[in-house]
Amino acid sequence: MDTMTYTTQSLWTWWIAMYLFFGGLGAATLSISFLTDMYCRPHPKLVMWGALSGVAMLGISSAVLFGHLLHHTAVIHVLNPLVLIQQPSAWIAWGTQFILWMMVWGTIYAFPYMRETPVFMNMPLVGAMLRSKIVVWLSDTCMKYRRIVGWFATINGIGTAVYTGLLLQSFPAVALWHNPGVPLLFTVSAFSTAFAYLLVIMNTFIRDEFDQDLRHRFELFDVILIAAELVILFSFFNYTLSGSESGYRSAQLLWHDMGWLIGFIGFGLLVPFLLELKGVIKGWSGRYPSVAAGLLVLMGGYMLRHYFMYAGTYSYPW
Amino acid sequence: MTHYAMVIDLNTCVGCNACMAACAMENQTPVWKNKWRTYVPEKEIGTNEMVRRRFFPHLCNHCDNPPCLTVCPTGATSKRADGIVMINPDYCMGCRACAMACPYDARYEVTYSDIREGKEFYGELQRTSSGMDKCSFCAHRVDKGMKPACVETCVGSARLFGDLDNPSDPVAQIVMSGAAQPLMAHFGTRPNVYYIEDMKRKG
Repeated sequence: MDTMTYTTQSLWTWWIAMYLFFGGLGAATLSISFLTDMYCRPHPKLVMWGALSGVAMLGISSAVLFGHLLHHTAVIHVLNPLVLIQQPSAWIAWGTQFILWMMVWGTIYAFPYMRETPVFMNMPLVGAMLRSKIVVWLSDTCMKYRRIVGWFATINGIGTAVYTGLLLQSFPAVALWHNPGVPLLFTVSAFSTAFAYLLVIMNTFIRDEFDQDLRHRFELFDVILIAAELVILFSFFNYTLSGSESGYRSAQLLWHDMGWLIGFIGFGLLVPFLLELKGVIKGWSGRYPSVAAGLLVLMGGYMLRHYFMYAGTYSYPW
Repeated sequence: MTHYAMVIDLNTCVGCNACMAACAMENQTPVWKNKWRTYVPEKEIGTNEMVRRRFFPHLCNHCDNPPCLTVCPTGATSKRADGIVMINPDYCMGCRACAMACPYDARYEVTYSDIREGKEFYGELQRTSSGMDKCSFCAHRVDKGMKPACVETCVGSARLFGDLDNPSDPVAQIVMSGAAQPLMAHFGTRPNVYYIEDMKRKG
C-alpha cells in the first residue's frame, strides 16, 4: 500500500473560487461600510454603495453555487435555519445562513438612507417598494435601533468571511486546505479586497472631498492587511515545504506557477502594497494610482481562491 | 451491537472487475460515464523481471468518523447504528462537499442527464433524483441477511464482509489479528474497510 497516487480535484473549480471570492468580498464590504457609518461618521452614500453592491455580490456568489448544484429543489433544506440544529458541523449550512441574514439585515440597514435619496424614490418599482408600509415601518424601526441592526449585519458579514476559509479547512485529505491558516488567510483577504473595492468606489463614483480622511484610513488598513496576507502566505510556503506529501505537491504546483508568483503575489499583492504605501506615506496627486491599486487587489483576491482550489492535492494509496 | 466492516485481500484480487459489474447491476450506477460505487484501479509495480500488476479494489470506507457526514449541509448523509454510511437522495442538493471531504475518492455525481440515461440503460431506475452517490455496503441486501453484491460475486474471495463486534466472525478475527489494516487512518476517519497487504508476500 505504498504506491501512492497524487492528484488534484475537478469537482470544485473556478465556480467555487467565484463563490468564495464574491462571498468574502460582499460580506466584508457590508461590514466595513456599516462599521464606518456607525463609528466614524454617518455616510449615506458609502452605506448605500456598500449595502447594494455587497448584497449584489452575495447574490452572484449564491447564484454561482446554486447553478452548480446537482439537485436544485433540495436546496430548501439548507435554507431552513433549523438545519443548524441538525447539522451544526456543516460549514455550508452556517455559510448559507450567514449570507441569507446578512442580505436581510444589510438591506434593512440601507432602507432609511435609500428613502432619503431621490434617485431610489423616483425609480419605478424601487420607489413604490420604498414607500410601502412594511418598508416604512422597517426603516423607522431601523433608525430607532440603528446599531443593533448594523451589528446583526456585521456579525453575519464577519461570519461569512471566516466561513469561506472554514469551508476549505473541513476537508481533511488536503494539507493545503486542512489547517488553521486558511480561515485566517481568507478573512484577511476578504477584508483587504473589501477595503480596496470601497477605495475604488470612493475614488470613482462617490468622489467626496470630505472623504479624504476616510480614504486615507481605508488605504492604511488595506496596507496593513496586505502585509498580514504576505506574512500568512510566507508561513504557508514554509508549512507546505515539508510535513506531508500532499502539502509538498501543492507547494510544487503553486510556487512553480508564474500566474501565482507574478500574477497573484506580484501584481495582486506586492504592487498594490507599494502603491498604497506610497499613498499612505506621501499621498498621490491624482486618484488613478489608488484606483489601480484597488483593482489589482481585487484581481489578486480572486486569484488566491482560484489557485487554492486548483492546487489542493489528494493522496490515494492505489 | 452490529458493526459492519469489509476486509479486502490484495493477494487474491485478480482484477476481473466482477465486483464492479455486480455492484453496477445491483445499484444501477452510471457506468456509461465510468462512475462506480466500487472500482479496481490497476498499476504496474517494480521493474524488469520483478514487474507485476497490482489491483486495488476500493469503495466507501464507511468511516466511524466520516468527514463526508460532518460537511453535509442538508443532513442527507447519515450513519446507521450498524455503521453503514448512507445518502438520502431526497435531501442531497449535490453541492459535492462530501466528495471533497472524502479521502478515499468514494463519491461521485449523479446528474439530471444520468437519471434520464439510467432509465434507458437499466429500464426501471430505483433512483429518481440527482445528487451524490456512493457505496452503501448494499444495505438493502444486508438488511435481508445477504452479503453485498461485490462480496457475493468475488471469484477470488478477496472480499469478506462481516461484523466487527462478533468475535467469532472471520472479519473480526482478521482485523483483530492485525493482518488487515485500514487506509490512511491518520486522517482520523476510523475507516471500516481493511486491507491485507500483498507486498510482504511477493518480496
